[in-house]
Amino acid sequence: MAKKESKKSLWKFGTREVVFAAIGAALYGVFAWATNVLQIPAAANVSIRPGVVIPMFFGVAFGPIVGFITGFLGNLLSDWFSGYGFWPWWDLGNGLMGLFPGLVANQMTTFRAAKDIILAEVMALVGIVVGMGVAAISEMWVSGMNFITAIAANFIPAFISNAINGLILLPIIMVAYSAIVKRSGR
Amino acid sequence: MLVPLTFRPHHTIIERFDPRARWIFSFLMMTAIVYYWDIRFLLFFFFISFTQYFLAHLTWKETRRGWTFIIILISMMVLINTIITSAGTIGAVTQGGHDVFIWNATVPWVGWNIHFGLTAERLWFGFTQIVRLLAITSMFLVLPFTMDPRLYGSTFSGMGLPARLAYSFDLAFRFIPTLARDFNVTMDAQKARGYEMDKVKGGLFSQVKKVAPLIIPVTMNAILSGEDIADAMDLRCFDTGKRTWIIKLTYRWYDYALMIFSGCVLISTLIINHGLNLGNFWMPDWFLGLFHNIK
Repeated sequence: MAKKESKKSLWKFGTREVVFAAIGAALYGVFAWATNVLQIPAAANVSIRPGVVIPMFFGVAFGPIVGFITGFLGNLLSDWFSGYGFWPWWDLGNGLMGLFPGLVANQMTTFRAAKDIILAEVMALVGIVVGMGVAAISEMWVSGMNFITAIAANFIPAFISNAINGLILLPIIMVAYSAIVKRSGR
Repeated sequence: MLVPLTFRPHHTIIERFDPRARWIFSFLMMTAIVYYWDIRFLLFFFFISFTQYFLAHLTWKETRRGWTFIIILISMMVLINTIITSAGTIGAVTQGGHDVFIWNATVPWVGWNIHFGLTAERLWFGFTQIVRLLAITSMFLVLPFTMDPRLYGSTFSGMGLPARLAYSFDLAFRFIPTLARDFNVTMDAQKARGYEMDKVKGGLFSQVKKVAPLIIPVTMNAILSGEDIADAMDLRCFDTGKRTWIIKLTYRWYDYALMIFSGCVLISTLIINHGLNLGNFWMPDWFLGLFHNIK
C-alpha cells in the first residue's frame, strides 16, 4: 500500500509541480543562454553548459515530470533566445535528462546523504546517456547521418560536456538545497 | 544582462494565422520531409519553407545568429557524414557508385594504407542533405520570431495539452524576466566580491566549478519564491474548475485551409513513399556527366 502511494506521488503534477516545472524551465533557459560563450577547447560547436544541472536537480527534487518539462522547455527557451529555432529531438533529449534522475525523487532523504548523492549521480548519468543518445540517434532519421557519425559528432561531445557539468554541480546544488529544506521546514 | 525576446510584431500574413494551425503545419511538414531523399520532392518543401520565411518579413539582423548556427551545423554534417566518412544512411549511396576522386597513401614507418574514395552519389547525397536540412530548419526558425509569447499557454491548451501542463509552459515564459533580473543582480553581487565569469581560464573542471557561485544563489532564491507562488495559487483555488485564458484563440477559414493542406501533404507523402515506393534517393544523369574519367 505504502509502495503504491509512493509510486502515485512520484508522477503527481499538482500546483507545486506546475510552478517548479515553470521555474526550472525558465532557469535552464536563462543559464543555458547566458553560458553559450563558454566553448570546449578543441571541440567544434559544443559549449560548456553548466545549466544542464538544472533539469537533473529539478528531477531529483520534484519528480520526473518536473524534470522532463524543465529539460524540454528550458532547452526550447534557450534555443529560442539564442535565435537557433526549434529542434524538437534535442528538446526531447534534454527532457529525458531531467526525467531519469526524477525516477529516484521518492528515495531522497536529506539530499546531502552519500546514498542520496550517489543515487542521483547514477540516475543523472543514465539520463544523459539516454537523453543525448535519443537526440543523437534522431539525427540519423532527420539529417541522414550514419550511426558512427551521430555517435562521434553528436553523442560523445554532448555526453562528455553534460556528464562533467552534471556530476560536478549536482552534489553541490543538492547540498545547498538540503540547507534550504532544513531551514524552511518544507 | 537582458534576455532578448525574439518576438517583435511584424504585422505580416504569417502572424495572422492561428498559432495552433502553424504548429500543426510545421510538425506535419517536418514529418513529411523526413520521408524523402529525392531532391525533386524535397525542393517542393524547400519552396514552402522559404515562402513562409520570406512572408514573415524577418530581417537578417534578427535571424543572423540562427542562420550562422544552422550553416555551421549543416556544413559539419555534410562534411563529416558524406565527404569524409565513406558510410552513409542510405545503402544505395554507400555501396558502389561512380568514383570522382580517389586518394591512396601509406603512413610512413607503420606502413598502414589509407584509401579515400569520393563518389558522385555521395556528392549528390550531400547536396540533397543540405536542401532537406534547410527545408526543416527554416520551417522552425520562423516560429520564435513570429509567435506572440503571450499566446503560448492558450495555444498548447488548445492543441490538447492538459491545462496544468499548458499553464506550466505559459508560466515559464512569464518567469523569464524575473529570473533574468535575479541572475543579473547575483552576477553583479558576485563580481563585487571578485568573481570573474568572463575570464575563461583554467581547465574544464575549474570552469565548471566557477559557475556554482552564480547558479546556486539564483536557483535557491527561485525555489524559495516558487513555494510562495504555489501557496498563493492554491489559496486562489488554482485548477479547481475548467481553466479559461485571457486571449481566446479562434480558428478562421485560412487556418482550416492550412491544416487541411498540411494533412493532405502528409497523406500524399505516405502514399508516395509506401504505396508507390517513390521518394528514395535519386540522382540525375546529368550530374554524372559533369565528371570526366568516371570509373
